[in-house]
Amino acid sequence: MDTWAIGALLGTLLAATAAFIWMAFELKDSGHSKQKHSEDFAHDAEADVERIFNDTFREELRNRGRLHFEKIIGENAMFLQQDLRLTTSELNEYMKQEMTRTLKEEFAKYEQSITDAKQIAIDSITKTQEAIEQQRQLLSEQLQKQFEEAKAQLVKRFEENMADIVNHYIMATIGDQIDLNDQLEYILNDLENNKQAIIEDVTNGA
Amino acid sequence: MAHSKTFVLPTSIISSIDVARLEREVESVRGFLEQAERRKAGERTALPKMSRMLEEIAEENAVNLLHVDQLQKLEDILKTLKVQAPVIHLSFAAEPTSAFLQKLVSWFRKEVHPLTLLQVGLQPSIAAGCIVRTTNKYFDFSLRQYLTGSKQQLIELMEGGK
Repeated sequence: MDTWAIGALLGTLLAATAAFIWMAFELKDSGHSKQKHSEDFAHDAEADVERIFNDTFREELRNRGRLHFEKIIGENAMFLQQDLRLTTSELNEYMKQEMTRTLKEEFAKYEQSITDAKQIAIDSITKTQEAIEQQRQLLSEQLQKQFEEAKAQLVKRFEENMADIVNHYIMATIGDQIDLNDQLEYILNDLENNKQAIIEDVTNGA
Repeated sequence: MAHSKTFVLPTSIISSIDVARLEREVESVRGFLEQAERRKAGERTALPKMSRMLEEIAEENAVNLLHVDQLQKLEDILKTLKVQAPVIHLSFAAEPTSAFLQKLVSWFRKEVHPLTLLQVGLQPSIAAGCIVRTTNKYFDFSLRQYLTGSKQQLIELMEGGK
């Protein structure tokens, strides 16, 4: 709005100046036109113009115009300064808002990316944990299976050789206390039980 | 064996080694007596010592040890016995005593064959009992065999003791 006022003022001044100049030229032109008829009138008019618009008047006009122009310039400079300050302030506010908004957006994006990265990391850790758990479960099952197989194998071998093992322990513990004379009755019983087979083999043997 | 019906082996004679030893002893006595018949008067002779086995066999079979022909007969019987008498192999965990073996051989001669001879071996791993081997058969009367036969019972006992 102030710019429009300055423009209008400057236009007015230029229009007034142009009117004076136009009048002067018109008067001059009219003098020239009438020169043929009356060069005296022209000369008088020129003299009157010179008399009216003399240097003092021109200087006065120039001073008034300068002062008015300076006043307008000053006012407009003040308005311009105020506008500039206001604009600067608004610009600062705008910049601040824009920066804040941009920063918020960036922070939101950053936060989102952090959240995404965190989620990805959590998913990865979860998957890794699941894989480890599966592996642990598998290993545990394999270990249990091998343990059971080894145990079964040991039990089987123990059962297969149980007689020898027990015999060995009996020998180690009471082997030196076993008296053959104490066994005579049992040996004779065994012989009695197999007597027929022994007789047949002795009788029919080679 | 022609002589086996009447001939009696004392229980002190257990193995074929005893028979061989007895045979040599009889041969020695017979040789002494033959030499004594041919000796000149006044010539000194040394009477061979006779073992308890020889005295027992002579006593149980009514053999006059001063008669060469009876000694010869006994020697022939012993030679035959050494080759033809049934031999039972017995294995024990420890060295059996003579009395123990006499009881066993007495049972064999009473129940199986009157001229049975024993051959004794050692097998410490059997722990207790014995292993009897005849010509064609093998009888395991050892504790190990007994435990093997009772394996299922042992397993049940161990399972019950868990």
